[in-house]
Amino acid sequence: MQGYLMEQLSLPAKLDSLEEIGKFVVRATTQAKLATKVAYGLRLAVDEIATNIVTHGYKEAGIIGEITVSAALTDSSLTVVLEDGGIPFDPLSHPLPGEDELNLPLEDRPVGGLGIFLVLKGVDAFQYERAHDLNRNIFVVNRTPDCTARRDAAGLAGQ
Amino acid sequence: MAFDVQLQMTEGVAKITLTGSLDAASAPQFKEIIERAAAQKAEKLVLFVKKLDFLASAGLQLLIYAKQKMGGNVDIYLIGSQGPVQDTLEMSGFHHSVHIQDSFADT
Repeated sequence: MQGYLMEQLSLPAKLDSLEEIGKFVVRATTQAKLATKVAYGLRLAVDEIATNIVTHGYKEAGIIGEITVSAALTDSSLTVVLEDGGIPFDPLSHPLPGEDELNLPLEDRPVGGLGIFLVLKGVDAFQYERAHDLNRNIFVVNRTPDCTARRDAAGLAGQ
Repeated sequence: MAFDVQLQMTEGVAKITLTGSLDAASAPQFKEIIERAAAQKAEKLVLFVKKLDFLASAGLQLLIYAKQKMGGNVDIYLIGSQGPVQDTLEMSGFHHSVHIQDSFADT
C-alpha cells in the first residue's frame, strides 16, 4: 500500500465489529481532512464490504477469524484496506442492479445487490485481490483540493 | 452513534423513530420492529429518520422487506432524512417508492 500507514486494527470477524471499523474509518477521514460527503461514502463502502466478509466469507462458511483494517495517506489520496482469511469472495463478480431495477417499486425489487452498488458509488477506486489465502479489498478516495474549499465554504470546517 | 429504534402504533399508523447507525449489525432490531408493526396490521409506516446518521444497504433491504411483508398498499413515509442518508436513498431509487417528507401530519 502506498503512502504513510496511519493505523492498523485487527478485529473478530463479527457484525459487532462494524461499529469499531466505522470509527476507524471516521478517524482516518478526519485526519485526511476529507469533505463530509466523501468521508461518508468511504465509511459506507467499507461497512458494506466488511458486512459481506463477516456474513459470506466467514459465518456462512462456518469459519471463525479476523478482519484487519488499515489506512494509508498520501498527498492525493486516502486508501483503506480490509484483509480477511475467509473464503475467496470477489465482490465485483456479483451483478449490480441496473437503472431499470433501481426504478422498480420496492414490492417488485429483489432483496440484495445494493451493497456493492453503494461501494462503487462511494469511492473513487475499488479493487479486490486474493493472495496468500487472504482476501484484500482496497478502497481509494481522492483528496481533491476543492474538497477542503467546498467544506469550508459550506461552513463545515472542523466537523 | 449507537442505534436505537422506537415504535408507536396509533390507529393503524406505525410511527418508528430511528436514531444512530443502521447497518447489518443493528438491522435485526429494526426488522423486529417492522414485524411487530406488520403483526398489528399497520396501514402506514412512518419512519422518523432525522437522527439517523448512517444508513447501509442492510437498512434499505429492510424497507424492501417491509413493503413486501406488509403489502404494496401500505405506504412508507420517511420523515426528516438529510445529508448523505438522503443521497443514499435517492441513489438507490427509493425516492420513487417511499414518500420523503420534512414532516408528517396525522390525517
